[in-house]
Amino acid sequence: MALEIPKTAYSGKIREMKLGGGDKAVTVGGETAYPFYLFEGEMPHPPRIAMEVWDMQPEDWAPAALEPFKGVTDDPAAWARKCVDDYGAEMVCLQLLSTDPNGLDRGAEEAAAVVKKVADAVDVPLIVWGTANHDKDTEVLRLVAEVCQGRDLIMGPVEEGDYKKIGAAAIGYRHIVMASTPIDINLAKQLNILLGNLGVPDDLIVMDPTVSCIGYGIEYCYSVMERMRMAGLTQQDDKLQYPLICNISKEAWKTKEVHMADDELNMGDARKRGILVEAISATVLLMAGGDVMIMRHPEAIKLVREMIAELTAS
Amino acid sequence: MILIGENLNIMSQTIGPALRERNPGPIQEMAKAETDVDYIDLNIGPARKAGDEMMEWVVKTVQGVTGKSLSLDTTNPVAMEAGLKVCKGKALINSVSLQPGRLEQGLPLVKKYNASMVGLLWGAEGMPRDAAERGVLVADFMYRADEAGIPQGDIWIDPILTPVSVEINQVKSCFEFMSMLKDIAPECKSTIGLSNISNGTPTNLRPYLNRTCLIMLMRYGLYSAIVDAFDAELISIARGRKPEIAELVHRVMDGEKPDMASLSEEEAKYVKTVRVITGENLYSHSWLDV
Repeated sequence: MALEIPKTAYSGKIREMKLGGGDKAVTVGGETAYPFYLFEGEMPHPPRIAMEVWDMQPEDWAPAALEPFKGVTDDPAAWARKCVDDYGAEMVCLQLLSTDPNGLDRGAEEAAAVVKKVADAVDVPLIVWGTANHDKDTEVLRLVAEVCQGRDLIMGPVEEGDYKKIGAAAIGYRHIVMASTPIDINLAKQLNILLGNLGVPDDLIVMDPTVSCIGYGIEYCYSVMERMRMAGLTQQDDKLQYPLICNISKEAWKTKEVHMADDELNMGDARKRGILVEAISATVLLMAGGDVMIMRHPEAIKLVREMIAELTAS
Repeated sequence: MILIGENLNIMSQTIGPALRERNPGPIQEMAKAETDVDYIDLNIGPARKAGDEMMEWVVKTVQGVTGKSLSLDTTNPVAMEAGLKVCKGKALINSVSLQPGRLEQGLPLVKKYNASMVGLLWGAEGMPRDAAERGVLVADFMYRADEAGIPQGDIWIDPILTPVSVEINQVKSCFEFMSMLKDIAPECKSTIGLSNISNGTPTNLRPYLNRTCLIMLMRYGLYSAIVDAFDAELISIARGRKPEIAELVHRVMDGEKPDMASLSEEEAKYVKTVRVITGENLYSHSWLDV
């Protein structure tokens, strides 16, 4: 008798979604099996990596993270161009750190002008990430949506406390929203239902499950993302069939371990350590079902790209 | 089915201050209002400071206005004994767990005062992870109670029900365990903190989860439940006055997929709720709308 390999019974499919516009638009999603389970189903589009750009000069970055962007970190548009031209970024994520009310508290108009400059400087899909302050994000992202009409942004985080106004702007100016919930599958489903009730069409929603990096509870993120995929793929839960975006670089590069010097606690080469924390964290999240990774260091990105290429090779 | 009213609770906005100030009015009002339950749970919390005085006082205060049986609910053993001393009739000790120390303090009280006890399946390593671990804990209870000379019929096993919005596999294993309890411990009774299932759910929607969950558990011969004494619909269910709904719920538990269009609005809510409790559909606060 021939051995029969057990096979998962899938009944659902992750939504296929176009991110960005024009020639450089990318498509993600479309999976009919668990991540990289090409022996059980399809993964028609490989996961993508968005390179991170800040809208202000980073002050506390580890030297290893700063070095590849020397000379451009004070100019978001030049920084974004460098990501695309020098490092082959297929997406860019602009982090609006300067708008944080507890930090520089830059106004919406100024922030939107920076987004517009970056949006005009590159033609790859652009993610715009706020500060998760509901009032401020509402103000900033609504204006961003307006001035970038036609650019097909991906913007967020959109949470239960601010989804109505930002969601309305996304519908009006046709941008994608990132539905963001605090590592909780039930709340994620609920927010997607609320966005649907508001009238945000399915092709304008992606999910941000909230992630952390290795050593800081990534197991829990993994488990929640895994369950989202199980619900979407095996329980036909159409409210959990949206692609997942993971904002991982910020988490990886803020850890204590990444900032330790070479000789501290025998932790080895700091540069390599930072790159690996980021690359391995992203790898774990890809295994859990992430469709877009927001990443920082070109070498970490290279490692993850190689891994994706190997796992999706036929 | 035996119902234990959960409302006389130190966490309540009215009962909490009344307990601390020894103000009998709100407490007696509440006790008198819990007309439809069989037991009244007196939950004074951990009661670390002068818990014995508080428990003695509340038992006497409640017994002044009702002859209902009492469930004494505290983790403070001194307070528990103070309550047992003045409690008329057979008291229910809520609860005794298998954590080290708890059993050693609890079992002698059960014996000495000829009380019943809620046997909470919380072990030395905390919450049991699945049905099998719950089974092991029940066996422990039976063995230790037997040693202490306590009849198994005085043990009301509480398998620990967790919120549907937290970890659905725990809810599933609680149900799986309840389906086996009669075989593992035929003489033991059972009880459950029913409202736990809806912890975290918007208040106005909680009754749907509580009621459906009760119907589901009744199928496994649940002996008693700690419930909201003022949910009239829930009481009707427990008293067997909703046989059509119960039958519908049981059919859906068996995998039947009724034609939703043919159901009344109320029936449809029960069906949707069964599906989130069994884990067939993932819970969200809008589960009744989708």
